[in-house]
Amino acid sequence: MKRRMISIALALAALLILAAGCAAPGREEPLVTLEDLPAYSGAAYVAINGNEPYFTPAEITDEAFETYSALDALGRCGVTCASVGPELMPTEERGDIGSVKPTGWHTVKYDCVDGKYLYNRCHLIGYQLTGENANEQNLITGTRYLNMEGMLPFENMVADYVEETGNHVMYRVTPIYEGDDLVARGVLMEGYSVEDEGDGILYCVFAYNVQPGVEIDYATGESWLAGEDAAADGEGATYVLNTSSMKFHDPACPSVEDIKDSNRETFAGSREDLIARGYSPCGRCKP
Amino acid sequence: MERGSRMIAIVCLDDRDGMGFNGRRQSRDVRLREKVLEIAAGRRLWMAPCSADQFGPEGEGRICVSASFLEEAGSGDCVFVEDRALAPFAERLEQLVVFRWNRVYPGDRYLDLDLAKGPWRKTEEQDFPGKSHERITMEVYTR
Repeated sequence: MKRRMISIALALAALLILAAGCAAPGREEPLVTLEDLPAYSGAAYVAINGNEPYFTPAEITDEAFETYSALDALGRCGVTCASVGPELMPTEERGDIGSVKPTGWHTVKYDCVDGKYLYNRCHLIGYQLTGENANEQNLITGTRYLNMEGMLPFENMVADYVEETGNHVMYRVTPIYEGDDLVARGVLMEGYSVEDEGDGILYCVFAYNVQPGVEIDYATGESWLAGEDAAADGEGATYVLNTSSMKFHDPACPSVEDIKDSNRETFAGSREDLIARGYSPCGRCKP
Repeated sequence: MERGSRMIAIVCLDDRDGMGFNGRRQSRDVRLREKVLEIAAGRRLWMAPCSADQFGPEGEGRICVSASFLEEAGSGDCVFVEDRALAPFAERLEQLVVFRWNRVYPGDRYLDLDLAKGPWRKTEEQDFPGKSHERITMEVYTR
């Protein structure tokens, strides 16, 4: 199909774009800013920079590698980059990643979310590409929508291309935060097939970390149903559940610390709804 | 070209009826290409230059390549369509073969025929393993 070279001019232009703390490895300047990105308007991802990735010629290589940024002072993931080839692809089933709690993480369910859970531990570079399991530098708090609608299609496309051709794909994912937010607003995803110079794979998109029907406080990861106040009295309030004892607590209740992770969930909704589901209020915090 | 003649179209779709993204096919599989050549055995097989590139030696001497292949294909010919609209040629199609990747890929080009309506009736369906795809489904729609 179309053959396009990544031009040095484009790369230099990219360097002129200011960003919010998402510099690529080896670069002083980040790639894009939230101000450059269109607001979410119903599509899980949107093409950026004419769908041309920002890789410079010097960055492009057919030697497989993978790099992950050190967590920043807030514990957030940064840029991840790889030259994905058959050498990096996993040969074993995916392992458990539940031990990682990315910044802004909450275990919270909504009926309007596919699979109920609002948040997934989203691999920045998908497991099917580099076989990374519980790598805290590669997992962010992402909505189900981001994971399945925004990121997975690109991971699938690249994984199948690599498996079919044996070629390499430059693959970079940059989480983009606003200020000190703990949850990313989305991810910049770039892909470029090396051996055929972008003939097979070429894209540059921003995938939105949103969930239709749910509002998110990106500073903390707190969430509530769209159309409800974040902390209205009994309506859309947040509780912590003990799924073993079937008690619900105020998030500030001291007993919350004693709940095992495996039994703890965050719930956004009404008190009445919880009681209807068989939960009873904690006698200590009396939520 | 024989105007008014009927032809067989072959397309590849993801789970959302996507065909391509950013001017590129969504996916490829050597086992699927073998199926395409099987379907076209004894017929002329037309496609665009960008589609022919992926066939390599197995397609040599068997593929008619043209930028305007949909206009040039004649009666009984097969057309392998990855990069363009089919709706303008719908009246010339006697059969449509859909290969489903059973995966979700990025998409900005979609099949522009509604197979749930109109004259189309699914007459055959079979699964087969691909090289890089666990299961590819072939569906045949006939007028």
